[in-house]
Amino acid sequence: MKQKATPPGMVPLHLLGVSRRTQVTLTTICVLFGVFTLAPIIWIVINSTKTQFNIIQSFGFWFARPFELVHNLLLLNQNVGDDGTYLQWLGNTALYAVAGSAGATVLSALAGYAFSRYRFRGSRALFALVMSALLVPIAALGLPLYLVYAKVGLINTVWGMILPSMVSPVGVYLMKVFIDASIPQDLIDAARMDGAGEVRIFLRIGVPLMVPGLVTVLLLSVVAVWNNYFLPLIIYSRDSLYPITVGLGALTGRATSAGSTQIEPLLVMGGFVTIVPLIALFLVLQRYWRGGALLGGLTG
Amino acid sequence: MIGAVDSPPSGAAPTRGDTRGPARRVRSRRRDKARQGRVAVLFTLPFLIIFALTMLAPIGYAIYTSLFTSKLIGGTSFSGFANYSQVFHAGEFWSGVERVAIFAVIQVPITLLLAFFFAAIFDLGIVRFSGIFRALYFIPFAVPAVVASIMWSFLLVPQYGAYARVAHANFFTSKMILVTIILIVIWEVTGYNMVIFYTALKSVPKEVVESAILDGATLRHIITRIKLPMVRPAIIMLSILNLIGALQLFTEPSILSGFEPQSVSFGFTPVIYIYNTAIGDGEYNLAAAAAVVFALVIAAVSVGWLVAVRRKGTLA
Repeated sequence: MKQKATPPGMVPLHLLGVSRRTQVTLTTICVLFGVFTLAPIIWIVINSTKTQFNIIQSFGFWFARPFELVHNLLLLNQNVGDDGTYLQWLGNTALYAVAGSAGATVLSALAGYAFSRYRFRGSRALFALVMSALLVPIAALGLPLYLVYAKVGLINTVWGMILPSMVSPVGVYLMKVFIDASIPQDLIDAARMDGAGEVRIFLRIGVPLMVPGLVTVLLLSVVAVWNNYFLPLIIYSRDSLYPITVGLGALTGRATSAGSTQIEPLLVMGGFVTIVPLIALFLVLQRYWRGGALLGGLTG
Repeated sequence: MIGAVDSPPSGAAPTRGDTRGPARRVRSRRRDKARQGRVAVLFTLPFLIIFALTMLAPIGYAIYTSLFTSKLIGGTSFSGFANYSQVFHAGEFWSGVERVAIFAVIQVPITLLLAFFFAAIFDLGIVRFSGIFRALYFIPFAVPAVVASIMWSFLLVPQYGAYARVAHANFFTSKMILVTIILIVIWEVTGYNMVIFYTALKSVPKEVVESAILDGATLRHIITRIKLPMVRPAIIMLSILNLIGALQLFTEPSILSGFEPQSVSFGFTPVIYIYNTAIGDGEYNLAAAAAVVFALVIAAVSVGWLVAVRRKGTLA
């Protein structure tokens, strides 16, 4: 067997004294876990092409006739379960995700920059307060939000989802740590000497250096909004405002009871279509989130 | 659920020397400082306003609400700690707390062990094409918990699930349902935890490992004696994030109950109890009290855990 070249930063394998058999065993375990991980995804891809009868009756990990891919895609624009259409939910989720994550990224960048590069009265206490919010259970916060919304009339409004999505204590933390490490204070001081204003310094010097951190916060925020189930579940009773998660959740409730033969295919196709944009987003932006960026100084 | 996504770390923020611009004249410096203070306020204000409106105010209002009782006849009246006393005596609420505690005690260690195991062997380069494995394991991070629960329900549902047929088991009985949820959550979060461990392990200099080898350390020693202690901060962080996520269990059981309504009870988990009490029964004051109690339980567990690990060794 030819010796494989060792990448820099890695200890050559033969030095570790790993026997061939250990290596084969460990590889097998990795493959098994890979199968465990991938199988449900493969299942949903295959079954998005099936009729309800075949989703239930045919072998789950292979295709069956009739091939209903197009038919099932058309279901996405039909009001199958009387809870609105999937495309409507997708549009809502996209709106909440874009507005919420854009807001979260901008607010986190501004606040993180201020916490990192300015000393002002109460800044430490404020930062500690924001950090303590990391330990607040998000689900426990859902009901309090609902109660406040009921008072101020934000139930069944898009702002009910967007506003809380714009607040990301994690984002502030990540941005602060990222700015601490990647924007030299000397650069800022030099710009001040040249007479540049603080806002201009932030926009011209800060922002370009923050890009990997910004992308990371953006990604995490998009995923958080895309996944959010509890909050929209309690604040939306009007199905025209449902995000995907609540729409699909409502459909599962009907899968067992309703007589329609379209609900299972729509659930499967809807689930499949839901994960495509996120996986695509990660692939497009992988250059940025790979490396430690995703974790910020998380690992200290 | 993917609780880890939303809620990272505390501590470990690098400090920085106070480096201000070189001294010119004292007065202009003072003016600069005052201006920078104003800019800093301007920069933090947008975040702080929405933070106060969507986090601080709701918490305060929930506590306030929990001290009142609404009656159909007579309206809302102050009732002190009556709702709290009701929560303390609500067996369903506490059986839910017990259930998520059991859930967390099983799910979190398994997740962390698996994640560390894979991160360690990928880090040491024992397995080929580890880049592909890492990307593959990370995929569930992009799958919302609702969708994950739907996929797994189809695979495990007793009437026709592909896995249920092979295993000849009913994954939705009241005894099995928690095991099923553990399986689903492990599927959802292991890859994310693995990536964090992997990044932490990468920061261990290879010279440390090499000199250990020269001293005759075996593979097991390198992993347990060198790598493991060096990623201790990551372990503490991930354990607390996974723990908080696990205690808030809601999405998976509520989706599974769509497939098998009998499998999930009114107070299956504390969050389900809060949801059913508020949205189902319309008892908002009682639900608010339950939410406050539950938040305090989580805070106590988090702080208790942090104190416990801190006592065993220094928190890096």
